[in-house]
Amino acid sequence: MMAMGILTTIFSLCAATCGAVLLVLVFLDFRKTRIDDGISAFRRHIDALSPQARRDSIVRHDDDSNMGRSK
Amino acid sequence: MARDLAIDLGTANTLVYMKGRGIVLNEPSVIAVNRKSGEVLATGHEAWDMIGRTPSYIVAVRPLRGGAITDFDITERMIRLLLQRVGVSRFTRPKVVICVPSAITEVERRAVTDATRRAGASDAQLIEQPMAAAIGANLPIDEPVGNMIIDIGGGTSETAVISLGGVVALEAVRVGSFDIDATIQSYVRREHGVAIGERTAEEIKIHIGSAEPSPEDQSADIRGRDLVSGLPKTVRLTAEEVRFAIEEPVAAIVMSVKRCLSKAPPELAQDFISRGIYLVGGGGMLRGLADRISRETSVPVLMSSQPLEAVVLGAGHCIENYQSLRGMFMGSRR
Repeated sequence: MMAMGILTTIFSLCAATCGAVLLVLVFLDFRKTRIDDGISAFRRHIDALSPQARRDSIVRHDDDSNMGRSK
Repeated sequence: MARDLAIDLGTANTLVYMKGRGIVLNEPSVIAVNRKSGEVLATGHEAWDMIGRTPSYIVAVRPLRGGAITDFDITERMIRLLLQRVGVSRFTRPKVVICVPSAITEVERRAVTDATRRAGASDAQLIEQPMAAAIGANLPIDEPVGNMIIDIGGGTSETAVISLGGVVALEAVRVGSFDIDATIQSYVRREHGVAIGERTAEEIKIHIGSAEPSPEDQSADIRGRDLVSGLPKTVRLTAEEVRFAIEEPVAAIVMSVKRCLSKAPPELAQDFISRGIYLVGGGGMLRGLADRISRETSVPVLMSSQPLEAVVLGAGHCIENYQSLRGMFMGSRR
């Protein structure tokens, strides 16, 4: 009976430790994702300002204006 | 589903960009209202034609001064009419990006966003005019190089240094092309004893106004009302006189450009000499202004290919890439 109690305690401690380790891993992974998010968001921001990205909205307008003038 | 919009709500002109379609509206920021009933009688070009020529019960006003709302109720009605004219109904509520001067206060910002939301927008975001202008002028602001832009509007003049998609240095003054018109009006009144309207002053500025002497300098006959006799009178005004009259606002604009240059980090400052400073906005089209700024700063000044549309085109690009460029909006975390 006493041995069962000791085993239960050991298993409980193991489960608690595993749980804590898992939480730490999840937290670290979450933090890593957040850092990556910042990099990718900045990259998206810069890419959206590139001449290629602006070609559609701004250069198209320039072309339209020039066509309008030449008519 | 409404198409999202970008609005350059300027002191002088209002331009609207519709997502996927480009600029769909470009007209003066003027509204004519019946004083007695409160009804809106005209907006845009039609209302502009009425300025200074209305009977007492009609008032044709510019609801913005210095880039800020002076009459909240009238501005809200003007935005509501603009949205209706580009196809926004009460069932289709678009996201709207509005260009505002960077110098506006928190209270003024709230006034613009509240007026836009109440006029029918589902979301109203603000973007600083120099940033929008730099995007619209197609400057390489995605690169780690110094890009300097001067936006001279009707009520404000803003100079910004932009690098890697963000503002590095900024300088704004509440002096614009309307202040130039006002100084012409007061000069003619003071020196010639003749009263002229703001539209006549603007025409003088366009035809013979300049910031630097030029071989093309001309003179013009101006018609106004004699302050003594009250009768119509014609006076001859030279380009030199106009240059003298507008010196104060022009000097204020040049000084703000110099202050911005002095704020720029040295690493970026060297880029301006090779790349030049870009000039946008209607006020930037004053003859000789680019040369004057260039002479006083020793940096080449270039006129943008679309000086009047650059700001709304930049804001339009933000509405086309709303998620990626959210960080550009005023009050965002970036």
